[in-house]
Amino acid sequence: MKPISEQIKNKPWLGWAIFLGTIIVVFVLGLFASTVVERRAEAVFAYTPQVEHAQNEPRNEVWGENFPRQFQSYLRTEDTTFVSKHLGSNHRDALGENPRMVVLWAGYAFSWDYNQPKGHAFALEDMYNTLRVGAPIDGKVSNQQNNCWTCKSPDVPRLMEEQGIVEFYKGTWETKGEEIVNYIGCADCHDAKTMNLRISRPALIEAFERQGKDITKASHQEMRSLVCAQCHVEYYFSPHVEEGVGYVTFPWDGGVTAEAMEEYYDNIGFTDFTHALSRAPMIKAQHPDYEVYSTGIHAERGVSCADCHLPYMTEGGQKFTDHHIQSPLNNVANSCQVCHREETATLVKNVYDRQDKVKEIRTQLEDNLVMAHVEAKTAWDKGATEEQMKDILMDIRHAQWRWDYAAAGHGNSFHNPLELSRVISTGMEKSQSARLKLARLLASLGHNEPVAYPDISTKSKAQEYIGLDLRELKENKKEFINTVVPEWLEKAKEREATYTTSMR
Amino acid sequence: MIKRIIQYLTPPDKWKFPVIILTGIFVGLGFYVFYIANMPSYLSDNPATCVNCHVMAPQFATWNHSAHREVAVCNDCHVPQDNIFKHYLFKATDGLRHAYMFTFRLEPQVMTIKQAGKDAVQNNCIRCHEHVIYDSKMASTHPMFEANIKDKYCSECHRDTPHGRVKSASSVPDARVPLPPSPVPDWLKRETKKVKTN
Repeated sequence: MKPISEQIKNKPWLGWAIFLGTIIVVFVLGLFASTVVERRAEAVFAYTPQVEHAQNEPRNEVWGENFPRQFQSYLRTEDTTFVSKHLGSNHRDALGENPRMVVLWAGYAFSWDYNQPKGHAFALEDMYNTLRVGAPIDGKVSNQQNNCWTCKSPDVPRLMEEQGIVEFYKGTWETKGEEIVNYIGCADCHDAKTMNLRISRPALIEAFERQGKDITKASHQEMRSLVCAQCHVEYYFSPHVEEGVGYVTFPWDGGVTAEAMEEYYDNIGFTDFTHALSRAPMIKAQHPDYEVYSTGIHAERGVSCADCHLPYMTEGGQKFTDHHIQSPLNNVANSCQVCHREETATLVKNVYDRQDKVKEIRTQLEDNLVMAHVEAKTAWDKGATEEQMKDILMDIRHAQWRWDYAAAGHGNSFHNPLELSRVISTGMEKSQSARLKLARLLASLGHNEPVAYPDISTKSKAQEYIGLDLRELKENKKEFINTVVPEWLEKAKEREATYTTSMR
Repeated sequence: MIKRIIQYLTPPDKWKFPVIILTGIFVGLGFYVFYIANMPSYLSDNPATCVNCHVMAPQFATWNHSAHREVAVCNDCHVPQDNIFKHYLFKATDGLRHAYMFTFRLEPQVMTIKQAGKDAVQNNCIRCHEHVIYDSKMASTHPMFEANIKDKYCSECHRDTPHGRVKSASSVPDARVPLPPSPVPDWLKRETKKVKTN
């Protein structure tokens, strides 16, 4: 073979051919190299947020620009069409459906107005509408404090960071109305940079610390319940942190059972209200959902709140967490049938059976408690002394605490029906114990016959029985909704216009 | 003999320097491509290697939540494991095909396995699960069992194993997968951040 340079001299087209060939080969290799480099760069931008916002950005729509699927599904908590046998997402007047509660909470705001909870989107609207916060118009103050806002808005962690926790809790409810305008949302549970779950409310962290547990060591699966446990828990307002400030505290120091919390409250001498009829020192239970769930079988098997209430869904071939937090009865396929291979109708029936049975004995306890209060009032009227009534009133306090522990967590007859049944039974025992003592006391005071069960067949009759006149409050409420709330929202709009977010 | 080849390849004196520079350039670019494409990783069996190409993110995520996570990595199923030559030959031919598909942007939204891959996976299913397939108890109680499964791929019945049934490349947008990190070193990132370009 002649050397190539000679071959090219003789046939110049050969040189050009080699030149062209080299161009093509290098071009293709270059394409290959560039696609590799481009894809390495791509990996860095796998998550490219549309908007960069602060950790405590309270507006959910801003977070929603980066996660439209999750945000859209969260907006569905505005839906009120689902009705289940006992609960649902629609408006249900709890006092209207069960007027006994009016008597049980006589002397407390819950006897004025109490509705079943709706979707998270209604957190603020329902607060504005409830009579329990009063109607702070014309310089009047609300009968609740700012600590009531704590669980209702991502504006809360924003304010807590700006003002401090105690400073946030201070003052009456209407004073922070213009600051708290976004309903429960993204910033309550998520970290802005990584979207990891995080705790935004101090009460849960402090409760863990007092139990000697480190919440920062919680696993991802545990966090999927703990972010809910920030608010879906029993709490009280401790007066001991600062004078005149109700500091949100969880009574978990001795454990989370009804008995443990009862002992805690008795030891610190805590009372939520004095009953208007029986003058018993009462404790109000608020939704001990996490506590009851954590002792139930689903928790034991490692199922978290999010597994049932924020299950995975696939929309358009893409899998993400469904943020439409609702009753799993409205999403049986994705919530229950992931694990339980039964027909939908069977699963729903299983749930209703348990709820029905718990409600049956709960209603018996309610009737018993109503009578306990009425009989206690009768005893007072007949001249009973404080010494004579002391033990009776403690029994009534304990009995109603156990009733409320079982009644306040609306889904708990599913989360742990066995524990609820047990608590209701012990409540029954306490209530009967009170009534046995009352029967003897009344007899000794000269009243040796049954006390009549009052006519409390409707909410208005029950409220009349306990001497409630809500007409003025309802009038003022209407004015409050029409004048004060729009003002708050207007001021908030001006303030939020100054928040900086940067678009990419 | 070797001396003659070397003599043939050696350029004339005047050309020696340019040739050295040019070959240096090409070899340097070659090393760069090797580095940026994570080439040495393909010799190993590390599952993170398969996520060099993010189209594999759903497969990684589904495998990571499957029953096979603790016992089999990607290559245990997708690459022939019966002898070492087949093993590396398969990796080589597969890699070339991947490089071709990516260079000319031919990757589909829905990726399906090719025949060579199907055979490799089938053989690997049998390799690990042999004792339940060729179980003598099964053969005595269900004598037609073996004949009935011989003409099917295992995955025709075990369709969810392990990557599930949704086959889109974008089916798990929020999954955490070990994508290759930025090739730009941290110190350079920091320095360039300090420079304002607008």
